[in-house]
Amino acid sequence: MTGIIILATFMGIIIIAFASIIQKKLADSIILFMGVGLGSVVLFFTFKAPDVALTEAVIGAGISSLIFLMALKHLGEKV
Amino acid sequence: MFEFFNQPEVIKIIVIIGSMALFFVGIFGLLTQKHLIKIFMSISMIESSLFLFFIGLMYKKSFLAPILTSNQEGFTNMNDPIPHAMILTAIVIGMAVLALGVSFAIEYYKLTGKTNIDEMTSLRH
Amino acid sequence: MNLKREIPTSTMSGFALSAVLVLTILNILLQNIPTKIQTAGDELLKLNSTEGVANAVTTVVVYFRGFDTLGEIAVLFIASLGIGLMLDSNNRCNIKAESNFMLQTASKFLFPIIMLFGIYVMIYGHLSPGGGFQGGVIIASGVLLLLISHKEFEVPHSVIVLLETFAGVSYVLIGLIGLVVLDTFLGNFLPHDISNMGLLMSGGIIPIIYIIVGIKVGSEMGMIVQNLIKRSDNV
Repeated sequence: MTGIIILATFMGIIIIAFASIIQKKLADSIILFMGVGLGSVVLFFTFKAPDVALTEAVIGAGISSLIFLMALKHLGEKV
Repeated sequence: MFEFFNQPEVIKIIVIIGSMALFFVGIFGLLTQKHLIKIFMSISMIESSLFLFFIGLMYKKSFLAPILTSNQEGFTNMNDPIPHAMILTAIVIGMAVLALGVSFAIEYYKLTGKTNIDEMTSLRH
Repeated sequence: MNLKREIPTSTMSGFALSAVLVLTILNILLQNIPTKIQTAGDELLKLNSTEGVANAVTTVVVYFRGFDTLGEIAVLFIASLGIGLMLDSNNRCNIKAESNFMLQTASKFLFPIIMLFGIYVMIYGHLSPGGGFQGGVIIASGVLLLLISHKEFEVPHSVIVLLETFAGVSYVLIGLIGLVVLDTFLGNFLPHDISNMGLLMSGGIIPIIYIIVGIKVGSEMGMIVQNLIKRSDNV
């Protein structure tokens, strides 16, 4: 069962990351990028590394989203 | 049916190919996207793939997390704590350095009004 | 439709070259899969039982790699300093929009719980998953909740200066006391009996140093968050 979980989570992470890169709207892109962090938390927990999972959960959910959303607020959508 | 995926070598191959694919998705974003936020996002993805590679390479399925509980008698049959300790600090520092880069980008936008890297030609002439 | 006219030769050759590179790296990585090798981690796990700390990752971060952690905290401090210099505090303003009533009410309930959780994760870092880095960031996210819910809230600069100075000085002082007493920097000079393993008062200086790391990381992250949020919109 562990191998299947690892394989499925990796495929999900890669698909979400690619979708986040090719997204036209930056807000959608940032929201999808948080999915990469969430998948990483699942993988770290599956790899028996609870300390790293806790760190990634706090950083990826709390502070990283704040940084990108503040950058979006200042820089704007236009390329 | 699922027993094939539980072999240690197969798990290691999944980890290597998966983290490499995430790395190249980040490289693709770095090369094709023009907005500064997308470029920072791609760098963050590359970092994430390296963390997954480090932790996953030393993962042994039958071993436990490196924390002693009342069910165990000693520090045996545990996963390697050194990659965990290195990645733990690297995540926090990577976030702080990302915030520093974003603050540079904000100040650059306030000065010049540009976010597209193709327009940043002030050093070329 | 001629395919050769649509795709330039340089693109094709670049694609082929990158494909060859990817295959080569993959081949090298797949040939060197570590299966049954003796790592340094096994020796450290044996050494770990002499310190009386249940969480092996904490021992590696704070004790065996304690000097590196001091350097990493310095890197965090420099990043926080750079953000403070870039987003300067002269033209800062509060968030313009009035925050939601529900957010204002809920933050009064949620802020003590987040702070309690952060302090718990920080203090029990040597017994359970967690520690100074995680607890510090959780405390910073509690500060973030207050910053987005209350317009006038701001952590005073003197408090941050006091906390950071206290944490940095006491980290180095504890290391120097270990150097004097036991001839090693960050030597464990407090009693660390193995029979106490699993209790709150165990492990000698290791939980104390992790709490100090938590104070420093929390104040630096709080400063980063506050600088990012309070940056004014107009030039």
